[in-house]
Amino acid sequence: MLAYLPVLLFVLVGLGFGAVTIGLSTIIVPRRENAVKNSAYECGVEPVGNARGRFSVKFYLVAVLFILFDIEAVFLYPWAVSFHQLGLYGLIEMVLFILILLAGYFYLLKKRALEWE
Amino acid sequence: MSIVPQPTFLALDWWALGPVLALTAGTILLLLLEFLPQRANGNRGGIVSLLTFLASGYAVWRVAGEKRELFGGMFVHDPMTVFFTLLFCAVGVLATLMSWDYLKRTKINQAEYYALLLSSVLGMVVMAASNDLVTVFLGLELMSLALYVMVGFRRSQLESNEASLKYFLLGAFASGFLLYGIALLYGATGSSNLAMIGAFLADTPLATNPMLLMGSLLVFVGFAFKVAAAPFHMWTPDVYEGAPTSVTGFMSAGAKAAGFAALLRVALRALGPVMVDWTQLLAVIAFLTMTVGNVTALLQGNLKRMLAYSSIAHAGYILVAVAAGGPEGASAAVFYLATYSFMNIGAFAVLTMLGKGREERVLMSDLAGLGFREPLLGLALTAFMLSLAGIPPMAGFMGKLYIFGEAVKHPQLLWVVVAGVLNSVVSVYYYLRVTVSLYMKEPEGEPVGISWGAPAVLAIVITLAATLWFGLQAQGLWIQAQNSVMGLL
Amino acid sequence: MAALMQNEAFQVALWAMVKVGIILGVMLGVVSYLIYAERKICGHIQARTGPNRVGPLGLLQPIADVGKLLFKEEFIPAGANKVVFHIAPILAVFPAIVTFSVIPMGPAPMFVVTDINVGLLLFLAMSSLGVYAITLGGWSSNNKYALLGGLRSSAQMISYELALGLSTIPVLLRSGTLSLSGIVDSQAGNLKAFGTTLPLPNWGIFHWYLVLPFFIFLICSFAETNRAPFDLPEAEGELVAGFHTEYSSMKWALFFLGEYMNMIVICSIMVTLYLGGWHGPGVDKFAPLGLVWFLTKLFALLFFFIWVRWTYPRLRYDQLMGFGWKVLLPASIVNVVIAAVWLYWRANA
Repeated sequence: MLAYLPVLLFVLVGLGFGAVTIGLSTIIVPRRENAVKNSAYECGVEPVGNARGRFSVKFYLVAVLFILFDIEAVFLYPWAVSFHQLGLYGLIEMVLFILILLAGYFYLLKKRALEWE
Repeated sequence: MSIVPQPTFLALDWWALGPVLALTAGTILLLLLEFLPQRANGNRGGIVSLLTFLASGYAVWRVAGEKRELFGGMFVHDPMTVFFTLLFCAVGVLATLMSWDYLKRTKINQAEYYALLLSSVLGMVVMAASNDLVTVFLGLELMSLALYVMVGFRRSQLESNEASLKYFLLGAFASGFLLYGIALLYGATGSSNLAMIGAFLADTPLATNPMLLMGSLLVFVGFAFKVAAAPFHMWTPDVYEGAPTSVTGFMSAGAKAAGFAALLRVALRALGPVMVDWTQLLAVIAFLTMTVGNVTALLQGNLKRMLAYSSIAHAGYILVAVAAGGPEGASAAVFYLATYSFMNIGAFAVLTMLGKGREERVLMSDLAGLGFREPLLGLALTAFMLSLAGIPPMAGFMGKLYIFGEAVKHPQLLWVVVAGVLNSVVSVYYYLRVTVSLYMKEPEGEPVGISWGAPAVLAIVITLAATLWFGLQAQGLWIQAQNSVMGLL
Repeated sequence: MAALMQNEAFQVALWAMVKVGIILGVMLGVVSYLIYAERKICGHIQARTGPNRVGPLGLLQPIADVGKLLFKEEFIPAGANKVVFHIAPILAVFPAIVTFSVIPMGPAPMFVVTDINVGLLLFLAMSSLGVYAITLGGWSSNNKYALLGGLRSSAQMISYELALGLSTIPVLLRSGTLSLSGIVDSQAGNLKAFGTTLPLPNWGIFHWYLVLPFFIFLICSFAETNRAPFDLPEAEGELVAGFHTEYSSMKWALFFLGEYMNMIVICSIMVTLYLGGWHGPGVDKFAPLGLVWFLTKLFALLFFFIWVRWTYPRLRYDQLMGFGWKVLLPASIVNVVIAAVWLYWRANA
């Protein structure tokens, strides 16, 4: 586990670096606020409506598909690492697994889930 | 070369795994068939799913007498697996038959429906065959996820969407309970394998270990949700009403049977020592479940809602058998599940035919006078209602007879048996209301149209035959039910 | 004190602290001059000279830029979610810094901070975290451009992350380890093929089944770092500056820093996985030469990134998503299967 200690240090440094930079800048940066300056930027026009409106459901679809295929990748990593130990059984299992997922993928294609328009 | 031992499969194993393989292949095939154009009136989804169910049933029937443990004891092939796999295949066939024309007329005939049906049955098979809490959960999720979607299949109907969402949210909670319970059981006993848990508990009595108690309680809650036992039955009426009628019929039989199959296996193989202490708790839950179901069903004007409450009540009867415990009680439960599946699907198959086009006429008042206009249909529905009410010579009567007969052998369960019999009497009222509507009411307004279809009629004929046969010749099925539980132990 | 010095954990921590200091310092310098290089190269590609006023050849320009950013006025839009608005820029630089802990920049132990056995997974996890900075930054700004830019960008990043992750699988099939040092070690020596030793290094890219993954990884890296031709999130024409429209001063600088740091990290990973890491002629005789080789390859790739940015036009969004999902993803999956079958056949035939 000692090998992970430097990673932990890097995590702390990474968070600390960002936090310190932002903290410093809040101290030294000048602030002359006014209502217009603080309004949301919409190319100089008065902001219309709420910015946190509804957006295309496509983004959710992409997120769900991402989860699906990312899980596939997650299964592939341990298999790939122990590929030579698993032998033919492992190879066939994984090829079947990939084929089933490819079937799902072609189904998505057919259902036009990957089209943007 | 390879360090990991390469597994070998006997020919027997391939047959035993046949249902799983066939259902998986059928699901994928259906999705890929989407690439080919289909004739406007074709129904290849239904054909593929029928063939898949028949193939699965044949595969498991071929090796029915064998016993095998597969995948390191996670999946077992034993008489109970065979019994339930055959039951699920039958339920699948009947669901396909009654969906055949119903889907076409309600304009939701998409191949995905049958793909979901297949994967849902796959989940049920895995649940019934799993000898490990992890595979139980896997099967449960596979079944439920497909059902969530199927419930919402009438996409344009608001109540269908609502039903789907309700079922999904509550089902997700229930899955969470189950999973947490599995984790605690694993923590308490050090294994997720049912046989190992059973062996551990037999050696080291842990009955008062809070982790074990909590774990088994949570697992039970998870199953109770799936089989719609009080107080986890709240979702049932809305979901049954909102779902397409064919789906309601399928899930009321299949999901309940699968839930009980897994519950029985867990109870008998793993938690036997704990269950003994639970008799009274289970009896109370059984009493609550049947009373809530029956009393609420009295007031329903919608047949689907009424059948939903009636399905809660039937879960209560089966829980009495579970409370009675032991192989005998379990056999009674298994017998009841089989008969209940047939009579309930039969009732829903009749409902799928009510109404023309996209309309769904399932109100009590829609039935008025139907018995004279369509004598055969009326007769079939009456027969299913009588069976559900438990009136001889129908199968429902034999089911109740076995359950109460087993339970009454335990003196401490006498009260719940009395309550059960009283409940049956109450239930006769609302089941007979249907008959009264059929034969003694004058139709008001436009009479309900009937969408005849050969597959649905076939489904009704099969279920009717089964309901009568198991009522008159119950011995055969009873022996099978006993064998299935005995083979397990 | 002496006891403390003897403590193994303390020694590891001490060395790591020294290295983290060096890496952070060098990285900040490299990033500043990477920006300078970008502007200079861009200038020459466009037949200009680029920055040339501040200091000789404009070499002091980055320092002037940093100074300017430090003292810029900063404002936070009304209606922004203040907490998230502050967290997002921190998350932008954090993953890049953490990933650097596992990249072997030369022979161990001198040029390796730590060698954990899941180094590649750490990189993938951290590159996924990058999405949070952008989504949260875009969402918290309370600005339509920022929200849309953030959404687009996160959709793009997760789409390309799939192909990116899958294109590393053939490398693992070959190396049999997730440790980045292990992967570098598997690329030592000369290429053996057709029964002989070829006069080519044994780098990943020289194995035929790793050529396609390398290019997929390269393309995905452009998308992961939001660089042209995949810099849709900040398509000036339609979304102003995308997710960081409302950011100013040091917070904006952190996003900028994060982008360039990510570029360096992803190029380092590419060098490690496909280009032999720190291997090169003469490393076995003089270890520090490994660092030189590593940096040479890294800067060559960075130059390539800049070159591409100023050469190719931006894709349309549907083209971008379509390319990721319909070309790169299936190509990388199929490549995994082919590589696995080939490697099995070669090992057993």
